Amino acid sequence: MSPRLPLRSLRARIAVFFILLLVVVEGIVYALVSAGGERIAEQNMAEELLVGERVVRRLVDQNARRLTDATQVLAADFGFRAAVATHDIPTIASALRNHGARIDASVVMLASLDRRLVADSRHPERTGDDRFPLPTLIDTAAANGRAAAIVLLDGRPYQMVMVPVRAPLPIAWVAMGFLMDHGTAADLQAVSGLQVSLVSRAGDGHWSVLASTLPSSMVRSLTANEPRLEDIGRSATLKLDGEPYLSLMAVLGDSPEGRVSALLQRSRREATAPFDRLSAILGGVALVSVLFSIAGSVLIARSITRPVRLLAAAARRIRDGDYDRPVIVDQRDELGELAASFNHMLGGIAERESKILRLAYEDTLTGLPNRAMFRDRLRQTLRTAARARTPFAVMVLDLDRFQYVNDSLGHPAGDEILKEVAKRLKGTLRESDTVARLGGDEFAILLPESDPERVHRAGRRIVAALEPPIVLEGQPVDVSASLGVSCYPEHDADPDMLLRNADVAMHLAKRSGGEIALYDPSGEDGRRSHLSLLTELRRAIQDDELDLHFQPKLELRTGRIVRAEALVRWMHPVRGFVPPSEFIPFAEQTGYVRHVTRWVLRTVVRTIGAWHADGLDVTVSANVSTRDLLDAELPDLIASLLETHATPPGKLCLEITESGVMEDPQRALETLRRLHALGLRLSIDDFGTGYSSLSYLKKLPVQELKIDGSFVRHMADDEDDATIVRSTIELGHNMGLEVVAEGVETEAGLDLLRSLGCDEAQGYVISRPLPAPAFVAWLRERRARPRPAEGHASRVSA
Amino acid sequence: MAAVRVASAGTLSATVHDADGQPVAQAVVYARPVGHKAPAGPRRPARMDQIDKEFVPLVVPVQVGAAVSFPNKDNIRHHVYSFSPAKRFELKLYSGVPAKPVVFDRPGPVTLGCNIHDWMVGYIYVVDTPWFGKTSADGVASFELPAGDYVVKVWHPWMKAEPAAQHASVTGAQAVPVQFGLDVVQPPSMSKDE
Repeated sequence: MSPRLPLRSLRARIAVFFILLLVVVEGIVYALVSAGGERIAEQNMAEELLVGERVVRRLVDQNARRLTDATQVLAADFGFRAAVATHDIPTIASALRNHGARIDASVVMLASLDRRLVADSRHPERTGDDRFPLPTLIDTAAANGRAAAIVLLDGRPYQMVMVPVRAPLPIAWVAMGFLMDHGTAADLQAVSGLQVSLVSRAGDGHWSVLASTLPSSMVRSLTANEPRLEDIGRSATLKLDGEPYLSLMAVLGDSPEGRVSALLQRSRREATAPFDRLSAILGGVALVSVLFSIAGSVLIARSITRPVRLLAAAARRIRDGDYDRPVIVDQRDELGELAASFNHMLGGIAERESKILRLAYEDTLTGLPNRAMFRDRLRQTLRTAARARTPFAVMVLDLDRFQYVNDSLGHPAGDEILKEVAKRLKGTLRESDTVARLGGDEFAILLPESDPERVHRAGRRIVAALEPPIVLEGQPVDVSASLGVSCYPEHDADPDMLLRNADVAMHLAKRSGGEIALYDPSGEDGRRSHLSLLTELRRAIQDDELDLHFQPKLELRTGRIVRAEALVRWMHPVRGFVPPSEFIPFAEQTGYVRHVTRWVLRTVVRTIGAWHADGLDVTVSANVSTRDLLDAELPDLIASLLETHATPPGKLCLEITESGVMEDPQRALETLRRLHALGLRLSIDDFGTGYSSLSYLKKLPVQELKIDGSFVRHMADDEDDATIVRSTIELGHNMGLEVVAEGVETEAGLDLLRSLGCDEAQGYVISRPLPAPAFVAWLRERRARPRPAEGHASRVSA
Repeated sequence: MAAVRVASAGTLSATVHDADGQPVAQAVVYARPVGHKAPAGPRRPARMDQIDKEFVPLVVPVQVGAAVSFPNKDNIRHHVYSFSPAKRFELKLYSGVPAKPVVFDRPGPVTLGCNIHDWMVGYIYVVDTPWFGKTSADGVASFELPAGDYVVKVWHPWMKAEPAAQHASVTGAQAVPVQFGLDVVQPPSMSKDE
């Protein structure tokens, strides 16, 4: 369940989604704020520079006004005017110095109206004809009555003002200048908040830094940037000492020596610092919130996936059949509900499965394991036994005559007996033993770790346990059972074979009348041949391997032959003659006897029909098995056969066994009535071996009664048998039946039967069963013979 | 020079106009005889009033040697001065009429100022001839003078350059017309503090 890709897991997907979402959002916010901050900082800087420029200009103007005022005071001084008017140069010079000193001017100059420098405080000694160095100043002053300008004098910047000296018309121009130095720059910086450098550009294009608030290293870098200074104009970024400055060049004044400008600069780093701090804070917030969201989404995802995993684990446990452990989810959310539903489902599955298991492995009537479960246990036991090399045994138990109980007392009674038997069986066995009901009245018992000795004891206990009669509605019912045992490892190592072997042994016990039989491998050959017999019997009918032999019945009173019994013979191509005793019971067991019966009936009716057509008048009996009597189609089949072969019904006699009638007396009686109605002759075979009551026999529409050969054969020497024969004959006669004795092998027997009043006899002494042609020949020959030649006949007639 | 005047006298009528042809007032027109010095003449005294903190009139022409009085008609004091080369003087703070008039003994323009009121400007134009006049508002100045040939000049405080002198021959009673074109520019005046 470990996923190859991390994103396969729900938890990771949830976490990754939210983290990515947050990162994207934070990223966008960060980018917007950063870009916005940068833009704002940029605008602020540009604005600051512009404001700074205005401030600087205003300051310069104010200075100029102040200076002008001071200069005007000087120019208005009467003495000064008198000195100027009188060209009193020494007086003029000293007045200039004096007044200059009053207002702290750096330079004071006087120009004549013809623009000559009359006096100069810088060069007191020099007077005369030098031209005034700032003619434009005079132009302005002449036009406006005053002038102010920032000029370059001797490579130094001055703020100059000029006013006329009036008397009262202008008679000269007086100029005063203030040197702009570092102090000026510092003042400008103080009011503008900017770095201020005063720079000049000489006529030859050479730039000089005249004063600056920048550190000297930056000033050097400024001069190194000379070509760039040219390009600054209203806005540019200069790198000073690696530090970027947004710069603005404000031209302050032009003069013949060059132009003076104020370079106003704002450190970009300082300007963006607040925004950088903001960005840093924002970045920190983003980082922290991402970390929190990672933690949070992992927690939430875990709260989702943990119960899901628990549920998945529980589902696997259910798959493996473990229903004992419910899922424990404490959450009260949807997953908690899911877990609760899951637990309900688990309970439902467990309950249904145990029910299904019971149905699949338990016999509902007795509560015992059923055949499937027995086989499971058997396999299990076999595995254990094979490993541990311990013996064990399998028993098959079948109740005797259970069908009879069911029929006579009803199915509910049968069920009660089965339950009681199950209880008693369980009571006799160990805990480790298994009793199962295989079906019907058949039980199986598994005895693990049991040697033959123990098996024998267990068998005896079981038989003993079943001995006390079971009381049903106050009525004691005797129950007995036949037990077959097969042992591991002696009898087989295959569970199915062990069970089958036990079954075989059980049938052996049943046939032999014993209660317990151990499986005998030597009996297998016969059984095996039985099995193959079935297929061969089927083929025999197809290939007409069966044949009918006829044994005549002697009418003792007249010595005539009017009847015969048809006996089926099987001439196997390989085995040779197969006696009916070998395949008829077997065919009865398997149900295949139906086909044999039909073949016999078809053949008999055809034969009788043929003989009748030939004028051979003989009644032939055919044996009908127990199962045939329960076959409702039998009467119709016979009727159609008789019709087909134009056989008079009276020529056909059906011999039925007493035990066959007793299997299902009601149905048998019904069938017999219908057969009787057809006009057939009916005979009870092997009378005396069954359990039928006389009152019942009386109801049967039969005309004949046959005494079993076993009594007849020994009646000469066995008094009891003779009594049975005699009383049977009497009984038959009393009931209005003709009595036939079979198995008559001696002349003495014939005589005895004749003396007892028996109606007919059948046996080797008269004739063995003959094939049809031989029988016809024998019969024709016998009928053709004169009756006196027959010794018995004379006696009979006597 | 009554004789001259008696012998034959005439009138010079000078018309002064500016570049636009407008009449120029307060222009001094004066004539010097050709061939001899002008006589000293009567040296008529003149007066330069100070009214409402202005010199009135703007220009006062006088002959060399004439005395000019500076009556102060305001109720405040004035301090009239001149640094002009033709006449330097100073009438320190005074009111009413100063005791002594100022005698202008050299020809040339004299610019008057007041040390108290910087905007006050007045002119005394000192000529070395007795024949002179000043244009009125119509730009005409007329004065009598003896017959003869004269060089006629004009002066005005606002003129940018002195125009060429004109020759005039005065013969009889008939007025001799003289025309001057004058480029005048009023200099920027200082605002008056009322």
